[in-house]
Order: sequence, then structure tokens, then C-alpha cells
Amino acid sequence: MSTVPLQAWMLLAALIFSVGLAGLFTRRNAVAVLLSVELMANAVNLNLVAFGYHRGDLEGQVMALFGVALTVAEIIVGLALIILMNRTHKSIDIDSATELSG
Amino acid sequence: MTAGIYVSIILFAPVVAFGLLAVAAPIRERGTLAGWLVAAATGATLWAALALFFGQLSDPQTLEWTIRWMSGGSADFAQVGWRVDGVSAGMAVVVSLVALCVQVYSMEYLADEAPGSRGRYFSWHALFVFSMQSLVLAPNLLQLFMGWELVGLCSYLLIGYYWRKPEAGKASLKAFWVTKFADSFLLMGLVVLVAATGSFSWDLPAGLSQGTITAVAVLLFIGAMGKAAQMPLHVWLPDAMAGPTPVSALLHAATMVAAGVYLIVRGWPVFEASETALTMMVWVGAVTAFSAGCLALLQDDVKKLLAFSTCSQLGYMMAALGAGSMAAGYFHLTTHAFFKALLFLTAGSLIHAVHSNNMSEMGGLRRTMPVTFGLFIIGAAALAGLPGVSGFFSKDMVLEALSHDAQWGPLVLCLAGVAVTAAYMTRAVLTIFFGEARGAHKAHEPGWRMLVPMLALGVPSLAVGLFVGDFQSLVGEPGYSATEMLSHFIGLPALGVLLALIGFGAGYAEFKGTKLPAPAGLGDWLRSRPMDRFYEAAWNRAVLVVARGVAWIDRYIIDAAMNLVGWGALAGGDYSRRIQTGRAADYMWAIGMGTLAVVAYGLLGGS
Repeated sequence: MSTVPLQAWMLLAALIFSVGLAGLFTRRNAVAVLLSVELMANAVNLNLVAFGYHRGDLEGQVMALFGVALTVAEIIVGLALIILMNRTHKSIDIDSATELSG
Repeated sequence: MTAGIYVSIILFAPVVAFGLLAVAAPIRERGTLAGWLVAAATGATLWAALALFFGQLSDPQTLEWTIRWMSGGSADFAQVGWRVDGVSAGMAVVVSLVALCVQVYSMEYLADEAPGSRGRYFSWHALFVFSMQSLVLAPNLLQLFMGWELVGLCSYLLIGYYWRKPEAGKASLKAFWVTKFADSFLLMGLVVLVAATGSFSWDLPAGLSQGTITAVAVLLFIGAMGKAAQMPLHVWLPDAMAGPTPVSALLHAATMVAAGVYLIVRGWPVFEASETALTMMVWVGAVTAFSAGCLALLQDDVKKLLAFSTCSQLGYMMAALGAGSMAAGYFHLTTHAFFKALLFLTAGSLIHAVHSNNMSEMGGLRRTMPVTFGLFIIGAAALAGLPGVSGFFSKDMVLEALSHDAQWGPLVLCLAGVAVTAAYMTRAVLTIFFGEARGAHKAHEPGWRMLVPMLALGVPSLAVGLFVGDFQSLVGEPGYSATEMLSHFIGLPALGVLLALIGFGAGYAEFKGTKLPAPAGLGDWLRSRPMDRFYEAAWNRAVLVVARGVAWIDRYIIDAAMNLVGWGALAGGDYSRRIQTGRAADYMWAIGMGTLAVVAYGLLGGS
């Protein structure tokens, strides 16, 4: 079994994280923003699994499993918020929600 | 302890009556009922005071009871309670007796007033009796000061009783401000005393510096000058006559103004230790005794005449105290309380009959009002110091004290005052009761509720002087008995009577129309109230100018600083709130860039 070096996994994870971050900054659709957040979270999960494999034990994978469960919960809350936002603002454009403005 | 029970009755009977009238409007609105309630409370007070007084006569001792009121630097910092000795028991009797007479008298005198306002009047009377008794029975200067301020409040309220009359409102404010001005010195004196000794007691601890004692004594004396209407702080007392006549009798002749003298009698250990304060006292007293008597000569309003006479007599008391004789000052206080209250009540009876304060509208009243005439004569004789009447003994004690202390200047002033006193009283008696009846009125004697109190005051006005020996043993200062004083009827007493006779002659001559030699224009100048004009000018030129300066600083410096702080906070907030755009993307940018900055710091230079 050929081994992919750890650095490659980290590079891939950083790439996915950056894509997520770029999406977070640029997309205005709330669902797309949520997807970007998911990308970032999964980049972290990927790192955890990669480190766990590198160390040769299961701790990283267990942590990643927790992370997946967390992101699922987060998605549910996020989607519920988006539905609520659609009801109140008649739109899911994230720039239309400026209630926090000072 | 039986004394404690009597003191409780003295203090709580009037305060319960006051509380009841304050809370229970139906009783207060029924004026006569309120009056009898207050008179009953004062009667109980008088009974308890007499019990204490006779206890002191048979067995003179100092009884004291105190309870800690506030904790302070030392254990006995602030205490309240009571102290019964010859001085306070005697004063308590005087206060309750005069108060009872005046309250019964008021029921008829004010019978035409609305019941509600009479209820108000009597509730203040109850408060006054409580305040005055707590002042009299005070075990230290702190409680004395509290009673002092409370009687000042009662004075303010009662002078302004006819509050619809503008001059009554003005007079009550004037009395309040002038006495408060003096009281601020009294308070300063107390602060100095507490700072130096750590307690409000008038018994000074040993080793106090002479400067401190003098400062305390002089400051307390200025407070007493305001209350006792001594020159130059006398200006409020004549105006205070705008109140009902019974009030003038009780507060502004017999008791409240005498509180100024009582303060010195009570705080005697402090004053005795300061030669400066005593010198100031004897001169202020003697000058007031003479000059207020001269001012009384000029009055046509019988109440104002008596008011200036009160100033003058309080001056005698101050002079006696200043000459070092506590007994003389205190004895004159006692006799004066009776005969001056009597004079005011008879004056009230005249005013009630004639419906005018002016002597020029009276005249010939000895035929229509014989009882009032007789009582007025008794009061006038006591005031002028006719031999055998109470005022003779007390005034003679004052003169003896002055000559014993070799205070020749004040003695001459006081002797001249004796002649002046006789002159103005002769003039008053002749103008009011002799000659032709003037004014369109049908004068008549008042009813029993006014006559009985007057008669009740007439007896001590005549007779109290005979007990001068007992009195001195009560105060604990040896002197002469009445018989001794009458037997060595040469020297000062004779001189006093001679001067009084000269005064009678002058008064009679003036009544008959003889022009007495007097500097031209002096009377007019004095009638124009030079002291009042001086205070007004001082007020306008000094106080108002300073006040304007303070107001300018307040507005443009202190307020401006506050406004600057407020404006800065508002502007800063307005500026910084713009960061909060409310757009999620901006917050993400902030989080992202912030994270990057933290990471960059960690990588590049952070430790």
C-alpha cells in the first residue's frame, strides 16, 4: 500500500479550506455560505484523519467522527435559520439581513 | 426612676398630641377640639414639670440619662436623653406654664378663624412645646441644637400663620433667614467643639487650648445673638410681630427668644472659660439693652413696642451673663418670661377689642377695660422695675452683677436703659388707657378664656421676685434674699428706681405734649430702619454679586465640563457605531483577517 505523504493531505486540506473561505467572503446566497462553512469544517476533518493515520492510531478518526456529527447539527440549525430568514425577509440573500447594523 | 417618668410625660404628651393632629385630620379640622387636646397635653407637661421642679427645690441634684444615638470617634460622640437640674426644671415650668396660658388664650383670640386653620395652629403649638422642652432638658449641645432648630421651624410656621397677608410671609422668611444665618455660626462652634474634644458635652475636658475655647464660645454666642435678637441681628423680631399675638407672647417674648440666653446658661462652663466671649457678651447685651429701648420709644404699634422691649430685656440678660453672673441672667429670663408674656396677652386683649395694633387708635381704655388695664399696669411695673414687683429684683440682680464685675461702661448703658424702659412704658400706658377714646370702636373686656390666662400670668409677674433667694439656691449660685435686697435699698436699687422715675416723668411730659430735647432728625432716621436698609444694601451689593459670580462659574465652567464629557461620549459613540454594518460578510472579513493577524503575529514575531 503506497503511502501518500502527510504534506500532500495538509496541502489538500488547506486548499479546501481556502475554497471555503473564498466562498464565505464572496457568495451572497445563504445556502452557498453554509456550504462554504461545511467545506472549511471538512478540511479540518480531513486534517484530523490524516494526522491520525500518520500517528498510526484511531484518535484522529474518532475526533473526525465527532466533527462530522457536529457539522450535521450545525447544518440543521443553519438550514432552519435560512428557512426563517426566507420567511421574514422574503429572500435568502445574506446582505439583505442587516439588523445588527449599529 | 421617677424623674424619667416625669420627663417622658413632658416630652411625649405634646409630641403625641402633635402626631395625632398631624395624622387624624377629623380632629384637626375641628379646631376647638384640637385646641383642648393640645392644652390638655401641655397641662400634663406642666404637671410633670412642676413635680420635677418641687423635687429639685427640696433636694437639688443633677439627674441625667442618655442613650447612644450615633457611633463615632469616641463612645460618647452623639447621645440623646435628658438632664434635670435646677436650671432645666425651672425653665421647663416656665415654658409649660406660659404655653398653657397662651394656648387657652388662643382659643378665644382666634375664635373667628376657620376651624381647620385653628387646628393647624394648635398642632404647631404642640410641636413647639415638644421642641422647646427637648431643648430645655437636653443633656448635651447636640440635642440642644436639634431642639433649637425645631423651635426655629415652629417660629417660622407660626409667624406665617396669616399666610394670606404678604407681610406675614415676608416676616416669617426674614425670621428664618436671620436666625439661620446665626445658627450657621452655632453649628460651626459645635463642629470646632467636637473636633477638639470628640463630644458634644458642654463640660470641657482639661488641657484644651484657650484659643479653641474662645472660638467655640464666640461662635456659640453669635448663634445665641440671632435667637435672642441682639444687635445687630435684632431685625427679625419686630417683623415677627406679624404673627398672631399669642404666638408673639409665647415664642417671641417668653420662651423661644430666651433660648438664646438659655444656651449660654446651659453651656456656662464653655462661656465662663472664655474672657473674650464674656466681654463681647456684656457689650452686645448692654448696647442692645439701651438702643432697643430707644427704638421702642419711637413705635406706635404696641406689638412692635413690646418687641423692641423684648430685645432690650434680652440685652439685660446677656449683659448679666457677660458680667459672669449666670444666676442674674437666668433669673431675669424667668421673670421676664412671665411679665412680658402678660404684657403681650394684654396687648392682644386690646387689639382684640380695638381691631388695631396702633396706640394712636386706642386711648381712654381704662374705663372700658379695667381688668386689662390693671394687668397691663402690673406688667409695665414689672418691666420698669418698680420696687417689690418681680422685674425689680431681677433687674437689680443684673445691675449688681455688672457693678460687681466692674463693667462700668455697660453698667451706665443699662442704667440709662432703665430710664428709657420706664419712659416708653409710661408713654404706652398713658396713650392706651388715658386721654380721650380715639377710633370708632366699642371696646369691651374679653371673655374668660382670655382673662383667666392673663390673670394666671399676672400672679407670677407680681410675686416671683420674692423667691429670689430660693431661686439662687436652685441654680447653685449664692446671692441675696429678697428681704436683704429690699433692706439695702440704697445704692444701685435706689439708683435704678430713681432713673425709672425720671423715665416716668419724661414719658408723662411727652404725653402732655412737651417737646423733649432730642437731636433733630434722629427719630426720623431711626424710623427709617437703618439696620434693615444696611442688610438690604449688603444683600444687594455683596451677596447677590458673589452669587452671580458663583452662578457664572457654575454655568460656564462646571456645567461646561460636564457637557463636554457628555458631548464627547455621544460623538465617539456615533462615530464608532459605524463599524457595525450588520452585513454578515463584513463580520466574516473581520474574523478572517483577525485570525490571520493572530497567526501572523505567532509566526513572525510573537514569543
